[in-house]
Amino acid sequence: MWDQPIADFEKQNPGVKIIREIGPQSSTQLHDLITQKLKNRDTEMDLFVMDVIWPAEFASAGWAFPLDRFFSLAEQKQFLDAPIQANRYRGQVFGVPLFIDAGLLYYRKDLLEKYRMSPPRTWPELVEEAKTILTREKDPQLVGFSGQFKQYEGLICNMMEYILSNGGNLWDDKRMVSTLNQPNAVEAVRFVRDRIIGQIAHRGVLAYEEPESLVLFTEGKAVFHRNWPYAWNVANDPQRSKIAGKIGMIPLPSFPGGKGVAALGGWQLAISRFSKKSELAWRFVAFMTSHTMQKRITLSTGRAPTRVALYNDREVLDQLPQLESLWETFKQAVPRPTTPVYVPLSNIMQRYFSSVLALPDTDIDNRAALAARDMNRVLDLLREAPAR
Amino acid sequence: MRSSHRLAFLFLLPSLIFVGLFALYPIFESFRLSFYRLILTLPWLGQKMVGWENYVDLWTDPVAAESLRTTLFFVVTTIPLELGLGLAMALVMNEAFRGRGLLRAIVLIPWAIPTVVSSQMWRFVFNDRYGLFNFVLFGGDASRYLAPLADPTLAPMAIIVAEVWKTAPFVALIILAGLQTIPDELYEAAGIDGATAWQKFRHVTLPLLRPALLLALLFRTIDALRVFDLVFVMTQGGPADATNVLSFYGYKKIFAEGMVGYGSAIAVGVFLVSLILSLAYLRVLKASRLERTPR
Repeated sequence: MWDQPIADFEKQNPGVKIIREIGPQSSTQLHDLITQKLKNRDTEMDLFVMDVIWPAEFASAGWAFPLDRFFSLAEQKQFLDAPIQANRYRGQVFGVPLFIDAGLLYYRKDLLEKYRMSPPRTWPELVEEAKTILTREKDPQLVGFSGQFKQYEGLICNMMEYILSNGGNLWDDKRMVSTLNQPNAVEAVRFVRDRIIGQIAHRGVLAYEEPESLVLFTEGKAVFHRNWPYAWNVANDPQRSKIAGKIGMIPLPSFPGGKGVAALGGWQLAISRFSKKSELAWRFVAFMTSHTMQKRITLSTGRAPTRVALYNDREVLDQLPQLESLWETFKQAVPRPTTPVYVPLSNIMQRYFSSVLALPDTDIDNRAALAARDMNRVLDLLREAPAR
Repeated sequence: MRSSHRLAFLFLLPSLIFVGLFALYPIFESFRLSFYRLILTLPWLGQKMVGWENYVDLWTDPVAAESLRTTLFFVVTTIPLELGLGLAMALVMNEAFRGRGLLRAIVLIPWAIPTVVSSQMWRFVFNDRYGLFNFVLFGGDASRYLAPLADPTLAPMAIIVAEVWKTAPFVALIILAGLQTIPDELYEAAGIDGATAWQKFRHVTLPLLRPALLLALLFRTIDALRVFDLVFVMTQGGPADATNVLSFYGYKKIFAEGMVGYGSAIAVGVFLVSLILSLAYLRVLKASRLERTPR
């Protein structure tokens, strides 16, 4: 997706050569790589992609260049609001949204129809449907559900969708205290451990990131699957999927009485504070996120655009009809709270989630209390007055 | 006399500069940073001198304690396996037979492959659906397949297997070098005295191999204490922190979380544990050298 736009940009701007460095697929590992360059004040790297959870950290550390001078409020209004908010920190904006992602539920339409089931609206319904289908299909390789439960950032996205759709939260952004040990949050985690892991999902999901969990689904070996929007095109491509045309996609379920919640994901373009060519870097950012380029990238990759106008674009909707139904999900997707200490908080939460899911005998209440205490210690750092 | 000293110093200078710049300076710097609270993502908090606070925290940090246990478990399980396998491989390679040169080259392949590459390979081997591991154990019976990298008990074992596979050849190489220093006459003499093959091994080979074995032990212990790349590629410390070895924990603190002070304290901790063990080994090694010097 990058080669053609880069070539076009270079043609429009004679004398400019853009060098693209390929990073690891995992957001966690890419974070380590990019922050390493920024810590070293590397002037070679002019711009970089930023996961939706990084802007506050990069802004606070003084690594990302504030874009307010280039990126006007009027222009910001052309984009979906949630990712713009994720790019703001203390009144300034630090990135331009390139793609938007939100958690979705994929399911095997053919299997649900075969057993006269309607797509689940609650998590318990999903578990029951999956169990029934597994019992009747009698295929030892078939699993009821696949998602991302490895000890990494994706685990936070998956788990927050359960917790928030049960009325819980990860932490209270106003009072700056962890809420992981609140009853709603604990109850949701207990549900995942007792009803999903080792039940409708095999324990192997505890080592799965997106690619492995998607392969299980596209091989036709999973009834339900949680993933980002890109999975729709992959799963419907007969070259890469055995279930092309046999799938459905809906917003994620909730717990009874709650509201379904999709974690907001996505990637931004940002400029390094140490770049010596910030003007030129901005020209490329503006080019990549322009209406024309967003449309072209959307049409060629199927990834969800960040500009509002494209969700009313006939040509886009003709080719990607699913965007129409995704619109509501994107508008309501919930970002992980923005904070410069996101990574330490995430590591504490990953440790907690992974421990209680992988070790079925652990005392969830006790672990949740410990995790909350550790998170509060980190959050307390934000209350401290600046050094002289 | 003085001028020859000066000349010697001159010759030593490049090595001294090199060691100073690339070994001593980073160690010193880590020591210094470990007494500060320095959080890269919160620059307004500044760099605050906190004395022993990071070490007190480290001492009471349950994650660090668990991490130390994981690391020590890794050390005490991998090393006997590596030494045992390495010794067996070295004994075979030491015999004269056709194709010995080829075998010696082949045995070294796992050691020559970059760890990042071989870890990726082992990750595939232990894949829960398509991995060779499950196929070998259970054939086509997918219902019995295990997910080693998703299981807190099996994941450390998977890392151990990958480590032993990779480093046993290295141990074999050191032991082979040791074997070749043992003069044939000793075996001949033992043969004349009527020693069996086992007795020759037990009373000639093993005692004379002691320095080589201790050397291998030293290298492997220090290396195993610092294990990082296997974990980084195969598990990222999971599941449930079961493979969160000390180096990986320190790495995450410094490089992912930006907690430079606390992460440095972890690094110093790893350094001290390695140093103490190395000194202990060196004493034993020295003692065994002295034993061999003729009186």
